[in-house]
Amino acid sequence: MTRALIAEDEPILAATLARTLQGLWPGLDIVATAPNGVVAVEQALALRPDVLFLDIRMPGQSGLEVAEELAERWDGPAPFPHIVFVTAFDDYAVQAFEHAAFDYVLKPVSSARLGKTVERLRGALETRTALAPDALGQLLGQLQALAPRAASSERLTTIRAAVGNAVRMIPVPDVVYFQAIDKYVNVVTADAEALIRVPLKELLPQLDSAQFRQVSRSTVVNMGCVTSAVRDDLGKVMLTLRGRPEKPRVSPVYAHLFRQM
Amino acid sequence: MASISPPIHQQRRARLRRVLTDFPLSIGISALLACFISLVTGRFLENMLVSVLIGIVAFTIVYGGRLLFIKRLVWRLREWAMFAALAVLAAPVAHFTGLYTAGLLLGIRTPTLAEYPSADRISMIVFTFLGTTLMVVLIRNRERMRRAQEEQAEAHLRAQIIERQALQAQLRLLQAQIEPHMLFNTLANLQGLIALDPARASDMLDQLIQYLRATLSVSRSETTTLEQEFAAMGAYLGLMGVRMGERLRYRLELPPALRSARLPTMLLQPLVENAIVHGVEPKIDGGEITISAAIEGDSLVLDVRDTGLGLGPGLGQAPARRGGGVGVATSRERLEALYGERASMTLNPAQPQGTLARLTLPLEFDE
Repeated sequence: MTRALIAEDEPILAATLARTLQGLWPGLDIVATAPNGVVAVEQALALRPDVLFLDIRMPGQSGLEVAEELAERWDGPAPFPHIVFVTAFDDYAVQAFEHAAFDYVLKPVSSARLGKTVERLRGALETRTALAPDALGQLLGQLQALAPRAASSERLTTIRAAVGNAVRMIPVPDVVYFQAIDKYVNVVTADAEALIRVPLKELLPQLDSAQFRQVSRSTVVNMGCVTSAVRDDLGKVMLTLRGRPEKPRVSPVYAHLFRQM
Repeated sequence: MASISPPIHQQRRARLRRVLTDFPLSIGISALLACFISLVTGRFLENMLVSVLIGIVAFTIVYGGRLLFIKRLVWRLREWAMFAALAVLAAPVAHFTGLYTAGLLLGIRTPTLAEYPSADRISMIVFTFLGTTLMVVLIRNRERMRRAQEEQAEAHLRAQIIERQALQAQLRLLQAQIEPHMLFNTLANLQGLIALDPARASDMLDQLIQYLRATLSVSRSETTTLEQEFAAMGAYLGLMGVRMGERLRYRLELPPALRSARLPTMLLQPLVENAIVHGVEPKIDGGEITISAAIEGDSLVLDVRDTGLGLGPGLGQAPARRGGGVGVATSRERLEALYGERASMTLNPAQPQGTLARLTLPLEFDE
């Protein structure tokens, strides 16, 4: 029996999706409905469903962030679940999905459209075609490129970090990597570290995307400082950085950035 | 308003085209006059050549003078006087030069300058003058018609541009007012409720209608009463309440004495939507929204308080957000335009959490 998880913050929509799915796919077992992104990740890791229906706009974590975190934390024998994104009108996101390997349905969900998705899912589950994590990385990259840039988010040239009573000015090109810690970001240069109170999500659009790349949910590295990427026996990729001893892990979602040419 | 004049090289080309079409007209007039003279004197070919040559010279002088000196599009007395002076000057010069050239070409003797002041010659000059005048009047007429056509086309184009701009502005306004995301999510809920709980679906539809009516039908210049505005906000929060379930709690506090207070439409709504979209909706536990009205001195104070995510540290101001952000910015501009210093809009962190948005504006009542 195929097991599914629905992540949707609006209770009526979650109930409606579950109902419609059960009508279209009697053999589907909906093992849980998560009211936000954070719960969705925990339940997906605990229950290991075959299919995930992820609402994109959810409190706590967006559906895309849920997918990203799951790709990073998924382990064990269960194959990575098939993901169907669910979204209300969102022009740029839909544009990205047009080219992505992921299925998506628009709210209000039409039963005919959902029927097609169900067919596709059944086919994929039968032939056991698993999605490479790369596909998610590509989708996220596309979304980032298409996301409407806020007017105020011009490119950042200097990081202003409070250190005691002083404010340190750190030129952005000097930064080796940014590490998210809760709501803070640790700014790491070759010889110092400083905490700033800006979420990584907000910082990222203001950095030069050619130079600074996200390599996992919590880490953004300066590509100019990466000297090598090593794949261990388990297939996990680690980076060696110029001037720093730490070896940040690369999420499978972003591993394609460090493949040989 | 920006004028719609073509670039200079196009203007030049248009002018050249005009000269090329006007020139045959003047030759035609010359030929006509030649025929007329031939009827009286005979010698048709000779007259034709003389007349055409005179026509060419007159045309060159008058047209050249016009292009050089008369820039105005609309001819008034001054322009006509200037033209008359040109024609008076052109007539003897054109007549003499034309006749002289024809004489050279045909190998016949033509009158010298000394022979000119005779009644015969002067009458011919007057004749040339009349011909030149006829030419200019015809050309002028043709030009006026052409200009009228151009103006009509230009007015048409301008009207189209204005219409398009107005449409775009309206569209932007609508998008700022009703976020498509909100609308589609609400419809999705409605679709679900129709199957799950038809009675609640019907209630929700009522609220959606009330909200859409309040939001879409108002013109920006109009004012509304606080009672109506609070009812619209009640409908909006009702919709969001169905969607968000237990995550949203809300209160509307309108003192009876303020029910008939007047305020511009669409000022309060962006603040309430902001409180939902950026405050309570993205927060896992949700929160509470309180909308209240009060009198302070001779001002009306409207508060929208939420216990949501709050303004956040950010890297400076909060990023320009879709929907609500645009709404708040336009509300602020409108306040400024309507009341100047007498009104204000502030966004501050609320205690212990969330955001307090405050609108202060002059207190006005229904007549």
